[in-house]
Amino acid sequence: MSDALERPLDEVQPGMALAAAVVDRNGQVLLPAGLTLAENHIESLRRRGIDKLSITPPEAPDAKARQREAARARVMHIFRHTADDPAAQPLLHAVLAFREEQLK
Amino acid sequence: MSQPSLADIVSHIHSLPAMPAVALELLQTLSGGDPDVDALASRIARDQAITARVLRVANSPFYGLQMRVGSIHDAIVVLGFSAVRSLVLTSAVVTTLPAGKCAGFSADRFWRHVLGTAVAAQALARPLRRKPESLFIAGLLHDIGRLVMLSANPEGFARVIQIATERDCHLVDVEAEIFGCDHTAVGAAIAQHWNFPAEIVEALAFHHNPAQTAPGSLAAIIHYADGIAKALDLEGAENTQMARLQLAAIDALGLDWQTLTAVLAETHGRFEAHLPLLG
Repeated sequence: MSDALERPLDEVQPGMALAAAVVDRNGQVLLPAGLTLAENHIESLRRRGIDKLSITPPEAPDAKARQREAARARVMHIFRHTADDPAAQPLLHAVLAFREEQLK
Repeated sequence: MSQPSLADIVSHIHSLPAMPAVALELLQTLSGGDPDVDALASRIARDQAITARVLRVANSPFYGLQMRVGSIHDAIVVLGFSAVRSLVLTSAVVTTLPAGKCAGFSADRFWRHVLGTAVAAQALARPLRRKPESLFIAGLLHDIGRLVMLSANPEGFARVIQIATERDCHLVDVEAEIFGCDHTAVGAAIAQHWNFPAEIVEALAFHHNPAQTAPGSLAAIIHYADGIAKALDLEGAENTQMARLQLAAIDALGLDWQTLTAVLAETHGRFEAHLPLLG
């Protein structure tokens, strides 16, 4: 991934995800890309003398909010002539709730 | 230009490829009676394209089978005749009825919308205590009149689409202006011609106007299922707009909030699982 971050091992926290596989000097894969790091992974990398990792940046906190806003706008577009129609109300509110749930 | 009559449009049905005999026979088994399941299974199995699509769906995670099913016979044993019948009919209808061509018409979106309506109707079956299969079939066929109109007069149908786009209104509001009748009348006439069960004919005729039918009718269920498919954006058209719903028909279905949200989630899941039927 192009926007992966190089982080010194000391700054890496459990719960972060690897953007690229960790390989040793011989090209042997120690940990696969995409793995969510646990405390023991970090310890074992430290023992093997690895000092930098490529980490997937955490999703920006407002990315989710933007997705939710886009989903809501799309629903309102579909209901553009019927948002005030009493017959369409239950379905409108149920589908908005469903989209919220999907993007949790 | 004089408008073609309903009879003229419906006469075009003879220019359409025939529904496979086995599909028509399956539809007739919806009316009840005691179908010869073994004989039907053998006949379905002769159509390899249909068989392949049906098995792909039957083996999808949605059905959660312990073992892969490898034949129509096995699928009937494991899923039941009714469920397999719906899958076979969908596949038969999609593969044999012509997609039709005219400016502005997308066959892919058409089939996605009717499949979405079919699975929404199926998701409504449990809360409404109805058998899911006729709901599914009625949903699948509810707009079939459009395919015949399109085949009878592609330029006319292109005009319908163009005007509806300009006015940002529903196709059904424009159809009668150009054709003298709308897809509900054409669909019901075809369904009669094919000897579909009366309830399905009624659903095709009144899915835009269920006030003409009894509360809780199949037409009323398809009316709401059509709206659910649109609300969930299943056809993937930019200009999708919510159907005009009739309050009395929807109130009569008596769905509470919790049930409705569960129906939406189930419709979404079923739709993804059944997409392979469209090829």
